[in-house]
Amino acid sequence: MIRFPESMSAGAALLAEIERRSGQQVSACYQCGRCTSTCVAAFAFDYPPHTLMRLLQVGMVREVLASRAAQLCLDCMTCSTRCPMEIDVAGVIETAKLVADEAGLKDTERDLRLLRRAFLSNVRRHGRLHEASLLIWFNFRTHNFMNDIKLVPLVLRKKNFHIFPPRIKNRRQMLRIFQEINRGGKG
Amino acid sequence: MSVYSYFPGCSLKSGATEYDRSFRLVADCFGIGLDELEDWNCCGASPAPHHWGGDLGILLPARNLHIAGASHDGIVAPCAGCFNRLKYAQHELSRNDDLRRRTGQALGQPVHYQTDVLNLVQLLNREIDPEDLARRARGRLSGMTLGTYYGCVLVRPPQIVRYDDPANPVKMEPLLKAAGATIPYFPFKTECCGSYMGLARKEIVLRASRRIIEVALECGVDALVTVCPLCYQNLDLRQRQINDVYGTDYHLPVLYLTQALGLALGFSPEELGIEAHAVNRPPSAL
Ligand code: SF4
Ligand code: SF4
Repeated sequence: MIRFPESMSAGAALLAEIERRSGQQVSACYQCGRCTSTCVAAFAFDYPPHTLMRLLQVGMVREVLASRAAQLCLDCMTCSTRCPMEIDVAGVIETAKLVADEAGLKDTERDLRLLRRAFLSNVRRHGRLHEASLLIWFNFRTHNFMNDIKLVPLVLRKKNFHIFPPRIKNRRQMLRIFQEINRGGKG
Repeated sequence: MSVYSYFPGCSLKSGATEYDRSFRLVADCFGIGLDELEDWNCCGASPAPHHWGGDLGILLPARNLHIAGASHDGIVAPCAGCFNRLKYAQHELSRNDDLRRRTGQALGQPVHYQTDVLNLVQLLNREIDPEDLARRARGRLSGMTLGTYYGCVLVRPPQIVRYDDPANPVKMEPLLKAAGATIPYFPFKTECCGSYMGLARKEIVLRASRRIIEVALECGVDALVTVCPLCYQNLDLRQRQINDVYGTDYHLPVLYLTQALGLALGFSPEELGIEAHAVNRPPSAL
């Protein structure tokens, strides 16, 4: 079923915002599909990359913002280096992801968002990431306790592996960096 | 002697300690000085550019650039992801006054960001003379067929990282060849391994990494060589998961470039941490 956008002008405004922030011209895409053919994650997307581009072109921007594809994109930039029109497809998708966040569309791929947020709060508090505590936290949050547990002994047998989270000394500066981000008004 | 600011990043201090260790061993052999960056912080990795407008992906690495200052011959980031984030921050800071001002505000002084940023391959190619390596290696890697796997962030986006040919990178080859290894045609050298999806969307990683291993084996590869801890994790640590899901029986060793060169220099697999890999069988020729 083809669904038309509720308001064409709202779609056009959002598209202009995405084009401005990504510095890309979405209309240049001629739907050759090369981005999709090189994408290792497209099989898990609801819309493949070239379709995301088409949806943007016809003003169905909300479909893109709310898509699972925008959240699942790996930002591997393969599509961007192979697009014959030299469109930074990954940059467009990444911008859509940021705009989706700002628009409060937070329900697609919840686990993945949780994981990314947890990663960042780990960094805010400690200045560095501790992979093991992130794994444990994530498994508790998602009630998937056995997730990757078999990898733990493999990692533990490495020499010098730190059981406890590392911390940087100047944590105040770390907090100031995060405050500066929030001051940007985009939090 | 050249001395570099060394930015290990979180991985080399947790899941990839063998990368850190083998790097230090190789650097030592060639008199490359490494001065670990004082109080470095996480580069922000994949999540930082995807939240709160994305600027966190600049400010976090910027602090490390700032600490490095102009004190040494440049800053080396062996982790391909960290390298990419540092280059990215440098690029954005150089063209965005507002970002520069905000970064300076967070740091409490004007940000210093112009330090030369090098990835591991770049550093080794600059500091090691292949002939010297060949003399020391005495052909220890001969008979070994190594798949040079570059992945994504070492070579993309080319306008920012400005490193090697994004479609067909070759910079790992001179040193490995000097050590006697054979480098076959391997068309998947820049395919994505599935990135950080391992925890939340495992099927993406397993599918992407399986294809890389499969093609590597078809190309006659005895071991893959990488400079990225995340690629290593997906290809080696998760190889058993791949076998479980796809009913395959892969045992393809995955080595960090410094481990391969360490073998060439005569270090043992234990010293280089190869023993602790999931696939810990050393490549066939050894
Ligand atoms: S590769 Fe470029 S031109 Fe082709 S469909 Fe994708 S975005 Fe459009
Ligand atoms: S950047 Fe995203 S859309 Fe492009 S190839 Fe990679 S995963 Fe697919």
